[in-house]
This record gives sequence, structure tokens and C-alpha cells, in this order.
Amino acid sequence: MQNRPAIIAVGRTKFGEHYEKQPEKLIEEAWLKASEEANIERKNLKACYLSDYFLPITNKLGLEEGFLSELTELHVPMEVTRSFSSALLNACNAIQAGRYNMVLVGGIEKMTDRWDKIRDDLMLLEDPWSYYAGCTPEANHELMLRAYIKRYGITGENLEKLNLALAQISVKNHLHATKNEYAQYQRKITIEHVLKARKNARKPLGLYDFAPISDGATALILANEEFAKKFTDKPVHILGASSATDYLTFPAREDMTHFLVSETAIKNALKTAGIKLWDIKIAEIYDQSTVMEMISLEDLGFCERGKAWKCIHESCKDYKGYYEMNGRKLFVNMNGGLKADGNPLGATGGAQVFEVFKQLRGEAGERQVKNAGKLSYGCVLELEGFGTKGYVYILGRD
Amino acid sequence: MSSEPIERRVSYLGDRLRGRRCQICGKEYFEIKDYCGNCGRKSFGKMVDIDLFYDKGKLEVCTFINKPTNKFTKLGNYIYGIISFHNGKIRVPGRLTDHIVKDNEEIDLSAFEGRNVVPRFRRRYSVGKSDVIPTISLAFTLADEYYPHQKYAIMKPNKEYDAPGIVGYGVYISKFRIRERNIERSVPFIDEDAITATVEAGKLALIHSGINSSLVGKVYVGSESNPYAVKPIASKVAQVLKLGEEEGDMQGVDAIDTEFACKAATSMFKDAASLVSYPKSNIQYVMVIGADNSQAAPRDGPGGELDLFVGYGGCAYIFGKHDVIAEVEGWYSCTSDTPDFWRRDGEPYPMHGGRFTGDPAYFKHVRKAAKKLMERLNLKVEDINYFVSHQPNVRFPVRVAKELGFKEEQYSPSLQVAKFGNTYSGSSPVGLAAALDIAKPDERILIVSYGSGAGSDAYSLITTNQILDKRERQKLTVKYQADNPFLEYVDYTTYRRLKLGM
Repeated sequence: MQNRPAIIAVGRTKFGEHYEKQPEKLIEEAWLKASEEANIERKNLKACYLSDYFLPITNKLGLEEGFLSELTELHVPMEVTRSFSSALLNACNAIQAGRYNMVLVGGIEKMTDRWDKIRDDLMLLEDPWSYYAGCTPEANHELMLRAYIKRYGITGENLEKLNLALAQISVKNHLHATKNEYAQYQRKITIEHVLKARKNARKPLGLYDFAPISDGATALILANEEFAKKFTDKPVHILGASSATDYLTFPAREDMTHFLVSETAIKNALKTAGIKLWDIKIAEIYDQSTVMEMISLEDLGFCERGKAWKCIHESCKDYKGYYEMNGRKLFVNMNGGLKADGNPLGATGGAQVFEVFKQLRGEAGERQVKNAGKLSYGCVLELEGFGTKGYVYILGRD
Repeated sequence: MSSEPIERRVSYLGDRLRGRRCQICGKEYFEIKDYCGNCGRKSFGKMVDIDLFYDKGKLEVCTFINKPTNKFTKLGNYIYGIISFHNGKIRVPGRLTDHIVKDNEEIDLSAFEGRNVVPRFRRRYSVGKSDVIPTISLAFTLADEYYPHQKYAIMKPNKEYDAPGIVGYGVYISKFRIRERNIERSVPFIDEDAITATVEAGKLALIHSGINSSLVGKVYVGSESNPYAVKPIASKVAQVLKLGEEEGDMQGVDAIDTEFACKAATSMFKDAASLVSYPKSNIQYVMVIGADNSQAAPRDGPGGELDLFVGYGGCAYIFGKHDVIAEVEGWYSCTSDTPDFWRRDGEPYPMHGGRFTGDPAYFKHVRKAAKKLMERLNLKVEDINYFVSHQPNVRFPVRVAKELGFKEEQYSPSLQVAKFGNTYSGSSPVGLAAALDIAKPDERILIVSYGSGAGSDAYSLITTNQILDKRERQKLTVKYQADNPFLEYVDYTTYRRLKLGM
């Protein structure tokens, strides 16, 4: 495939609170890191695809394309979408169509500047009726968990195990983040931390079950296969890219216990990539909450419906660095996931791709997965809103 | 500030919970859809309107909100969840209202899940003082608690009367109370106000009367605590209760607010009775609602003496000539310019001319109106089964009844002030409802209202046989709301907070 899209370099900032930095400083930092890595000049870029979820609201920045033009002093076509995955999908389409041979894909978000209003801003990701009825950014995750428990009749000891498994997800992701110099929270937490936070909040999920709000930027350089060879001999190819869309209104969806978009996107992405699900050994999953990680494992097909918590619970009793699912190893959220790496919405997908890129090239340093056998394929799942949009990318090296 | 067009659209759908059903496949939508997503183009013209306003839903799943978004912080902690209607054909988000979650209270979500809930018309969230007040019916209460689910079943009228009268009524009193100095007073929940009480009372009156709401030609709303200085409550009532013929997003009904302190509603009884009697008006039914979140300054400030007596609630009456439960026998009104109680524009609380409120005000007008009407109708005290008067406190109505020669059995059934407090425009109407709740056919009720400023309206009503037929249609009687196991008592600080609202 002549125009197969290949990632030739990635870059990112640390995620966290960057109150001293202008938004453009963050994206500049990410871009510089990526361009340095493969020695790319601005003039090589034929187009830019940028994403931010709500820079116009949080930083009163509209028409971000112009802002990016000033920053790069480029006058090439530029488009802004809301998620990194969405920007990447547009970039892939353009490369595949033969329109451009090299583009920049960037993501940026600055959320902590509006600490007092950010949870209201986040409600833009939900349907207005839920907001009017008193919904919060956390509530749907908890409702999904309640629906899941009911649907699969999980009670008593099993319910305790499920709750524990969710806590273990958070503990595991924090553990991974200790090896990630870019992560927002590079510290270990314990099961007790998670359970205590839930108890204090008197809720099914507590502070440690949710990803934080973050500032940060990510960037990658995408080129067609031929052109990529000029810059690197270790390109990572995007073998499958797919997205799906579901109702904005969570209560109106037929099944409230899974994300239809993830299920649809992985099927299509696998088909395009021409590989089997279990060829994938590493997955970066969109864990806005611990529930989301658990349910996404089922949606992607790594685990049977209603059973992921069992696999997680068993794997984490004596955690070896991966989940064991159906007798196979799956390395999940090696960068710490959204929970510990951070979740600057528009940039988050970039960090997920960053991780799989580094892992597949064997450049993840301390985080490099061990005992994985041949590491050929990885996947990324990014969601927009509460499962309103879903993107799956299958990345691989020949 | 939110945009008015958005506000209009949201409240148009959300206050009534309007939607559409596809007549081909039965799929339901919580939106006005012109075609069905399942059936596509062939379903154009096959979508019928539905609304969930009188329906009973089921709380499917819920969670506890302890950190709401900014506009909801005044609600404090609450239960939020997903509610299904029509066996799961349609699901909407919603929060539980009228439910105070105490600090350190253990929360068992499964104790709420699976229970039936009733949509309630409430304020949506907090806005600035000068903004449009947002409302919604995505607030629910548990159907097995204070506010049961009641069907709105329209009955074909079977009897026309010569004289106009009351064809149905509804009393709405919130479930919260404060108990002080031997009296209990009703307290609104934080998302309630005069507007929401008006709608609730009107809804109950429609349920009780069994009339088709599209036949209501006029609605009067009397209140002295309208949260707007300019903007009627009556327009909200007309839209939410679909009064008059519905055409697009307009209701073919005349709606107006009236104000005359506590007699703003009773004053319109005669107008309602007259309108339905005037042959060329083509108006079959008229609704009159009196409701107040009775205002009072904090106890230690000027005007604070009222703070010991104010309540919250509303009462709605529907007048007509079909299936009447109490005919209007006659009326008399009197007025004098007496400044005993007033509230200046822009002031939050009314003032009280202390020494003026009793003798030259309340007693003088109530006595005069009662005596004059009895004289006109040639009635003696013993001809009257129930005497109802305005109830600003416990003492006044008893004293005036005794002065007029009424015995305890005649005036005590209507005395509700010790249960609900002074519900201002709703005060004497609630007393009348208490009498109607228990009256037998062919009994006479004398009601005398009083409004500061000052004036009184006296009416004589004679009950009909149909009062018994309709009684079973209303679970929310005055007694039910006065002696209810689900009443919740709050302390003074909570009472002031709730009363102030969102």
C-alpha cells in the first residue's frame, strides 16, 4: 500500500498544571520534540490537523487554526477538531488519498485555568437534558456501573470483588505512571486510598476512580510510507483506523452497559488491518474512569461481557505488569492511563498513540513491556464524550 | 444569563416532558420528532404527541451527587438517575427532589432503584436575580411517599346545572414542615416557589375535576409572591397544563395574574362563575389558582413578626356549569383603602402595620362581607354548615367566627392554619377545600376571604350530589397532606434557606 500512513515521530509535554504557560507554549514544546526526533523542518509539513476540545471556552481562543499559523509561521491548510483521534483520522484520510505526503497532528488542552468552572464546561460533552436534570461529569460513569451490576446480577462477594477490581485498575495505572516522566501523577496509590475516597464521597466511585483535569499538548508527524523512509527506518504504521458515533443522550441508548462505538470501531479497524484481535498485545484504553477501562476491555473483545472484573481482579492479585485474559497477556495503559498520566482532552489521544509508538519501537525505557514475546501490534481506543464518539487505531511495525 | 429563545424551547419541552410516538413501530422519543428513526420517511405524519406529565416512571439506576455543577450547588446533595416510562420504551435523566440527604447518612442506592417516581414541576437550577427563571419537570419524587401518582382521566360531563359552581379543585402543600409554638407550617423545598405551587395545584384540580384541559377558557392566578415583578405566572400555568385549545406552541386561553394581597384569588371566583354563565363567551371552564410562597422578613428584622406564621402552598378551583360539586349561591365584596400590610416594589419582604391589622382591617372587612351576604341571601347562622375565613393566624378566624355567632363545629373543619401556616392567597381557598373534602350533598358553605389593603369577598356555596362521585378521584386531600407519615420537619435555619430558594 503506497500511501499507508506512517508515524515517524511523536512528542508531548508533561501533563498536569501548567498555569505559567500560554497554550501556544505547550503545543510548541510538543511539536519541537517530535520534529527534533526525526529532524523535520516546518517546510516539510503540507498540512496541520490540530485538536482541542474547548480552548475557545477555557482560554477564549477561537479560530485556533490562525493561532497555529502564527505559531508555526506556516500558511498551509489547517483544520481543528475536538479530539486527537479525530484529527488523526482526518490526517490518515488525507495521506491515504495521496493529498499530502507529510502532516502534523497536534492536540492541546488547557483545563486548569478554569478550575472553578471546568466541571460545568465538561457538561458540554453530555446531552443538555442530563445537564438540566442535574447530571455531573462523573454521574454517567456511576450510572453505567449501576446498570452493569444489575444487568449481570452481580451481588454479595462478587460485587465486592468487582469494586475491588475497579480500585485495582486505578492502583495499576498509578503504578505504571511512576515510570512515566510525562505523567501528571508519578506516585503509587493503594487500594485503601481508592476505597476511602469512595467512602468519603458516599458514592460508588470516588476521587481515585476518575481521571484528573489536565493541561498538556501532544504532537505527531504522519507521512506516507514512501516519504517516511527519508526520515526514519523505524516507522510505526497505522494499519487500521476507524470511528463510530452514538447518541449524545446516554439514557436514550439501547444498552447502558457498554459503548457501542468501541465495539463497532474495533471490528472495522481489525478488518482494515487484517489482523486478529489477539495479535494485539498492548492497548491504550480511554479510562476516564475505572469503570470505563473495565467496560472498554469487554467492548474491544478482550473479555466476555460481564466478566472483565473477574479477569482484572485475578490479574491484579499478584500484578505482573499485564492483565491475563483468556489465558493471554494484555498490557493495558502502560503510560498510566488517563487516570495517572492525565487527561487534557484534546491532547489525550496523542499521549495514547505516543505510548504505543514508543512501546512498538522498544523505546519506552523503564516502561517497556517485558515478557511480551514479539510485540508487533498495539491499539488505541479514544472516546469523545461519554461514548458518543469512539476511535480505534491499530498500530504496527513490519 | 441564558438566552431567552433557548429558555423558551427548553421549558416548552421540559416542563411538560413532551415527546412523540411512532404509530407504525411504537418507538417513543423525548423530543418532537417529525419522523421515526426506525421507520424513516414512511412515518411522516404518523407521529403522535405524547407527554409524560401525568405518567408514572421507574427509577432504573441512580447515583449520589455530592459535588454538583455550579448552578446546582444550592440543591446540595441529591440523587440523580435514569427514569424509564412505558415499560422502558422511553428513558429520561432526572433528579430526585423533595429529598434531603443528611450529612453522614449512609446511602444505599439499591433502596431507590426500581421504585416508581412521579414527575414534578420545579425550578431547574439557580440563575442570577435578573434572569429568566428556568423550570423543568425532570425532577421526580417517589410515588410511594408523600406525593402519589394519580391518573388524569377525562370524563364526559353528564349533567348541566342552572347555576355555575365549582367542578373540581386541588390543594398542593409541600411535604416539608417547621413546627414552632404549637403550629406547623409548610415549607417549600429549595426548588419550589409560587410558580411551581400554582402549576401543582392546577394539575391536581384537573385530575379531580376530570375535565378536558382544552376546554378551560381562562385562568386567573392570584399571588403576592410571584418571583417576577413583571411576567405572569398564569402564562406558565396555561402552557404547562395545556389550558385551552393547543395550536402549535400556543394555547387558546386567556391567562392573567391578579394581586390583592391574600384575596387575589377569591376575588376572581365571581368573575369565573360569571364568565362560564355568559352565553356568548363560549367558555366552558375557568380556572382560579391562589398560591404563595408567603413572604416574611427574617424574625429579628422589621416585618419579622410574619415569620412565625407564613406557610407555602397553592389551591386551584375550576368553575363551570357541568358536573358541578358546589353551586355558587351568591356573593358580596367590600373594599376600603386601609394600609395594614404592604410591600413596596423592589422590596423583598412585606411590612405590617401592627395595630392596624386586627380591628380596622381583618375583623371589620370579614364581618361586613359575611353579614351583608347572609342578609342578602336571607341566611341565618344555622343555615350554614361550614364557615371558612382567611387564616392569617390561629386567633383571628376563631374570633371572627364566634363574633358572627358560628359554633365550633361550623368553623373548625376549615381551620388549617395550625397545620400549614398562612398560605396568603391560598389561605381561605385551602380552608374551603378542607370543607369540600368532607361536605355531604346539599350543605351550605360560607367562605369569606380577606386581603390587606383591604377588602373581603364572601361567597355562599351549596354542595351537590356529585361531590361524592368526584371525591375518590383525589388522593391529595387536605387531611392527607396535613397528617402524612412522610412529612419532614426542618429547623429554623433550613426553613429560611429552603424558603429563599435556588
